[in-house]
Amino acid sequence: MDIAEVLTKGAAGKQYLLLGNEAIARGAIEAGLELAATYPGTPSSEIGDSLFRAVKQGNYFFEYCTNEKVAMEVAGAAAVANARSLVIMKHVGLNVASDAFMTLNYIGVRAGLVIVSADDPGCWSSQNEQDNRLYAMLGDTTMLEPADPQEAKDMTVAAFDLSEELEQPVLLRVTTRVSHTRSGVELGEIRPPRNNPNFERDPFRFVTVPTVARKRHPILLEKVKQATEISEKTPWNKIVGKGELGIITSGVSFNYVMEALETLQLKAAVFKIGMSYPLPKKKIQKFMASKEKVIVVEELKPYLENHARAFAQEKEIMVPILGKSQGYFSEIGEFTPRTVIEGVAKALGKAIPPEYVDVDNKISETLATAPPRPPILCAGCPHRATFYEIATATGRKGIYPTDIGCYTLVIQPPLEMADLLLCMGSSIGTSCGLTAVLDKPIVGAIGDSTFFHSGIPGLVNAVYNQHPVKIIVVDNHTTAMTGHQPHPGTGMTGMGVPGKQISIEAVARGVGVDYVKVIDPLQVKESIRAMREALAYDGPAVVISRSPCALLESARKRSANEPIIPYEVDPEKCQGCRVCTDKLGCAAAIWTGEHAAIEADLCSGCGVCAQICPYKAIHEGEANERV
Amino acid sequence: MKEYNIMFTGVGGTGVLTAARILASAALAEGENVRMGEIHGMAQRGGAVNCTIRIGKSVHGPIIPTGKANLLLSVEPVEALRNVDRIMPSGTIIVGEYRITPTGVLLGRDKYPSDEAILQDLAKFAKVITFDAAKLAQEAGGILTMNTVLIGAIIGLNLIPIKEETVIAAIKEILPERYQAMNISAFEKGKKIQKRRLQSSGLG
Repeated sequence: MDIAEVLTKGAAGKQYLLLGNEAIARGAIEAGLELAATYPGTPSSEIGDSLFRAVKQGNYFFEYCTNEKVAMEVAGAAAVANARSLVIMKHVGLNVASDAFMTLNYIGVRAGLVIVSADDPGCWSSQNEQDNRLYAMLGDTTMLEPADPQEAKDMTVAAFDLSEELEQPVLLRVTTRVSHTRSGVELGEIRPPRNNPNFERDPFRFVTVPTVARKRHPILLEKVKQATEISEKTPWNKIVGKGELGIITSGVSFNYVMEALETLQLKAAVFKIGMSYPLPKKKIQKFMASKEKVIVVEELKPYLENHARAFAQEKEIMVPILGKSQGYFSEIGEFTPRTVIEGVAKALGKAIPPEYVDVDNKISETLATAPPRPPILCAGCPHRATFYEIATATGRKGIYPTDIGCYTLVIQPPLEMADLLLCMGSSIGTSCGLTAVLDKPIVGAIGDSTFFHSGIPGLVNAVYNQHPVKIIVVDNHTTAMTGHQPHPGTGMTGMGVPGKQISIEAVARGVGVDYVKVIDPLQVKESIRAMREALAYDGPAVVISRSPCALLESARKRSANEPIIPYEVDPEKCQGCRVCTDKLGCAAAIWTGEHAAIEADLCSGCGVCAQICPYKAIHEGEANERV
Repeated sequence: MKEYNIMFTGVGGTGVLTAARILASAALAEGENVRMGEIHGMAQRGGAVNCTIRIGKSVHGPIIPTGKANLLLSVEPVEALRNVDRIMPSGTIIVGEYRITPTGVLLGRDKYPSDEAILQDLAKFAKVITFDAAKLAQEAGGILTMNTVLIGAIIGLNLIPIKEETVIAAIKEILPERYQAMNISAFEKGKKIQKRRLQSSGLG
């Protein structure tokens, strides 16, 4: 059964092996989803992608939006118009959407609105590891935090119900280890959508001019009180086990706590917080008052811990509260069973399992011998060619602000062509800042999806203020890093039908960039020439380096039964100069010790290495039957 | 089952995730509690990846604690090395002898250890079994079936408490039809070579 079938036809009461993100998508459908909107971002992407796959069998509208702010507005408005809606993003996406998010809490909704924030402790695929539970506090937004895929599904349904009960958006906060854990998930019944969209005018609620906003703020705080009462009673805030020792935890950390108790053979009462904003203050106070010691276990910020301290102070509860403030746990990175076992053991003055010491001694020597293997650009990736060309055209004398996408991987050797990165779209704004203060070529790189996401305002700024930035739009016709989602430049919509394709060059010209050129990065000489021209141009210039993602191109060739013709090295002609390896470093290139060679199974046949070989030693080989 | 942990490691893009899903799906089909930890996104692009499959009643989270893996599987020797802290002393490490050279090594900035050094290091932690999984995968129809060869090997060795027919059913459930035959062939090859090895080396 493929995911589309499980989502729309999977039987209630039956277990399916689902990824946490797939479980959230199913939960939304069970809750009678009518509209979902997203901008993809790891670790959230599979939620939207599953809904995208199932859209033809489902009864909901789905769209990939230009960015998270737009997605929040789309879903927020739909929920105001009485349609159950879901909006999905990664943690940093909520920064982009935060303006809309904050005021949505003021106006509230009429049908359920669930906002998924997928946080990334450990920065597996992100530029930071911010803790979005603090957004719930900032926005006074009711929040649920699942610990595993089953809870992720069940809490999604519960979040829709809560949202409708409170007429407020509800934040479903997950982390990488919930989103990307697969387990058996028992499905529930699918409720029919309400099918009653209706915009009931109420401008003194929904139009947040200052007089309205002032009126809505106390209403929002009343909602928080109402939600607190729910939080005191909800079964999502539950105590598991008994003992003089109390542990307060939430999300994925709960799992590690249970494993730690077993490993350390401890008896404890574990307060598992599922509804983590607003917190069940009275219940937590009662819990702490009955314990000899309380340990708080949570990833990232001491969110529960600080609340627990404040709650204890209020009731003059003197129980020791042990956590990050004493250094038993870190605010950095994701937890593992081991970090929790060690933290709990230290907090209680118990010994850590002795086998850890033995393993640590052995592993430190062993790991020192293992060469690092960071993620790299795929074999035949057109970005590799583009950045080789930028490096050549600028003689590596420029500064290279970069952006969020596969091309950020050029930070790795041999290209090492990334100098500055903040967030989605930042390459153009940071390029403007650098040109304002430096007299050097500033060449910013931005992907096609990122360009539409938040690059355009930066480009308008460059034109308006006449910064002579050189912007290379690396257009591989997809949102590659997050799993090949469509975007405005591809024209395919989230409903799986053609929309209107938006031309990057037309946008650039439209906002007033006078130098706009489109190149094919797999044509090395012509591309370098175009980049030199752009560098010499007096004013902002945009070069669109257009070539499809190598993974998609290989897949297209396979399904069209087109041959993939790998290149090979003529060992007679190869002089061992290492230009192909040291300047390009394709993932399909290997080095025999004396000369270059190519892994035929990996080579995509892009031919870039053949073009840069000074001895013309690389040529097309035989067509390859590829799995 | 109380608890059985498998660490499946390798290089992004070589099918580790799919192979791990086959095992997780088979375990679920046998009515077990299963947790599988996956790596997606940036970490997948040719970088080191690991998948965890945890089976049994006492399993909660997706991450295998230090020294708690019953099995460590990797077609790539260095990737076995990178994750060897998870294996338990009574566990088994299975390594396919298929080197994938990291860019740093290609550029001469890092060194790839010798096979002997890797095996020696691995053997400090648990029993090691190695064989040429890539060759068997090529014979079965393609290099990307390497991880299925490893699955065949652990079934042949009776190393996991899952039935062969459940694993074959999972292969058919998870893989697209056009890849099923070659993967079942890869599975069979893995299964047989291990049995032969066992007899000749006197292991087990």
